[in-house]
Amino acid sequence: MVVKVISADHAVAWAVRLAKVEVIPAFPITPQTLIMELLAEFINDGELDAEFIAAESEHSVMSVAIGASVGGVRTFTASSSQGLALMHEMLYVPPQVRLPIVMVNVNRSLGAAAGIWLEHNDSMPERESGWLQCYVEDNQEALDMVLQAYRIAEDERVMLPLMVCLDGFVLSHTVERVEVPGQEEVDYFLPRFRPCVTLDPSEPQLINPIVPPDYAMEMRYQLDRAIDASRRVIAEVDELFGRTFGRRYGGLLQTYKMEDAEYALLSLGTVTTTARAVVDELRSRGEKAGLIKLRFMRPFPEKELKEVTKDLRSLGVFDRSLSMNGFGPVFTEVRGALSSSGIALSDHIGGLGGRDVTLEHIREIYSDIALGKAVQDGANWYGLRRRRK
Amino acid sequence: MGARLFEVRFHGRGGQGAVMAAQTLAEAAVLAGYFAQAFPYFGAERRGAPVKAFTRIDTKRIALKSQIYQPDLLVILDEGLPSIEPVAEGLKPEGRAVINTSLPPEEYDLGVEVECFTVDATTIALEKLKAPIVNTSILGAIARAQDMVPLKCILDAIMDKFGERLGERAAKANLEAAEAAYSQVMSGRCRGERILRKGQQWLPSWEDIPPGVALIVGSKEGVVIGPGSSWQNFTGTWRTQTPIYIQEKCVRCLRCWWACPEGTIKRLDDDYMRWDYRYCKGCGICANICPAKAVEMKRGTKEW
Repeated sequence: MVVKVISADHAVAWAVRLAKVEVIPAFPITPQTLIMELLAEFINDGELDAEFIAAESEHSVMSVAIGASVGGVRTFTASSSQGLALMHEMLYVPPQVRLPIVMVNVNRSLGAAAGIWLEHNDSMPERESGWLQCYVEDNQEALDMVLQAYRIAEDERVMLPLMVCLDGFVLSHTVERVEVPGQEEVDYFLPRFRPCVTLDPSEPQLINPIVPPDYAMEMRYQLDRAIDASRRVIAEVDELFGRTFGRRYGGLLQTYKMEDAEYALLSLGTVTTTARAVVDELRSRGEKAGLIKLRFMRPFPEKELKEVTKDLRSLGVFDRSLSMNGFGPVFTEVRGALSSSGIALSDHIGGLGGRDVTLEHIREIYSDIALGKAVQDGANWYGLRRRRK
Repeated sequence: MGARLFEVRFHGRGGQGAVMAAQTLAEAAVLAGYFAQAFPYFGAERRGAPVKAFTRIDTKRIALKSQIYQPDLLVILDEGLPSIEPVAEGLKPEGRAVINTSLPPEEYDLGVEVECFTVDATTIALEKLKAPIVNTSILGAIARAQDMVPLKCILDAIMDKFGERLGERAAKANLEAAEAAYSQVMSGRCRGERILRKGQQWLPSWEDIPPGVALIVGSKEGVVIGPGSSWQNFTGTWRTQTPIYIQEKCVRCLRCWWACPEGTIKRLDDDYMRWDYRYCKGCGICANICPAKAVEMKRGTKEW
């Protein structure tokens, strides 16, 4: 193990190197670029024995990744925003074909009101593509999750692609202390990739042909069950990771001071760090505040969420994107999971399009949750300018 | 018949016009003052593949958007279909059938004994349209087989639908085909001796579907077995022309072997060829590509 002070993008590149990925198709897009630059350097310097394929678009990147993975090699790519959107069509192939591709999506706002800055509206719509999807909080978790991602995705009970989402700039271009594990430890943690489906000329088969109505529904159900089965594997891999490297993340979600909490915030990504500081402040004043860090959007931890919130009076949900129904996607899912819980649920939106989420915003969010008011006709927005009355 | 839901199921092959026939019947029914809908169902295959089409007619707004499983009227555009598919399945005992065949009803074995109307629509179509597109001829026969939609409305619908697409001259030829069929229909009761049996079909539970959308059940002579694969699907029955191999002329260049889109040409150890007629769709590419004219296309399907 060595300690480095590196960005999350570079931490990801180190993880990919340690995972001995063999094929890396890529197309440049900010703020993902640092990952591919460092990987290209590793390959150039002979430190990573991988094929780097510069494709002509992200659509082709995912097509190449599919080809590589079905060829039986460990595959990695990364993208952001418009790039992920251009991949959308091909994203639906690896889940059903059961190809454990790992991709890092560096979250960046998508579409008009365009920018290069952080918003979760690029990856959130892809939660229905069949990819497992997790969100990380810091650079160490970014590195650790890429290693965990291969172990989870390639487990024979899972065999699904996994998208590790990390906050653009707030992580991707921020340097922090990162423990880079040694190759031997990683080799122990991450066994060789044994594919579920492979192209093999000696054993010809038809992969992803057109499927008539007599079969497609069974295939969809099977995929949904495979995503469900990954819950157990995610927990097991986190435990194994803890035993190997000494760091654990809690699997689908992680709680902070929830044991006796009366009200709490559920957050994902980097805002969690700031929220932890606010919980400490509130606790020092005797307030029974807690925090739930949502780590996976797919599979969505419905059961776990019910368990950790059962004694709560009110729960707020932080969303860094919109579902265009007055709420954010995380809230919409949490409300679905806790619809019969009786907890006062509210949605708190902030940080869209890269707007900074400050300590003050989080304090405001917590004081709104403490009031215990259930959501009325929309989410609460933080940092939004309104016309003075 | 009269004030109730009337459901028609068409069985044909891609290219025979079953879908147009179903739509034209729906239009005719609307012209006759009814509510009607028509829709197709086909697989990924195209020309020559078995297709289904449906027409639903009612005196009130139709509140159904599913396929038809118990038709009142069965329309068969290709007389060979009952031997490969249980086309008569679900036909109501009091239902009727319209069949494109030169046989009189008493000699035709549909698999269920019902009131039946037969007409040699292929001969009529070849004569009137110079092509084996039998849909308008069959529509003329349909006018005789039910009493909701009269011949006049069917002819008006043909004029409108075909005129719009093919021009007035072609529409008139189709009109003549329908009228000829109407006058040549033979009626009686067909035979019900054939056993209605679905072809062997692999319908696994979700647990038994091999993961990965991969057809890995097995393979035979390079043909992969699995859902929708041609191993289970005897596409040879789609053929209207058959390649005849003249081995003496064959120069063993293997061009036909490479070009066959269905992989039905087997390369023997001495580099001569053998056709698997169970799967050959009769597309004629092999005959076309052969530099030695060692493959000739002949009309008919019975070679296998």
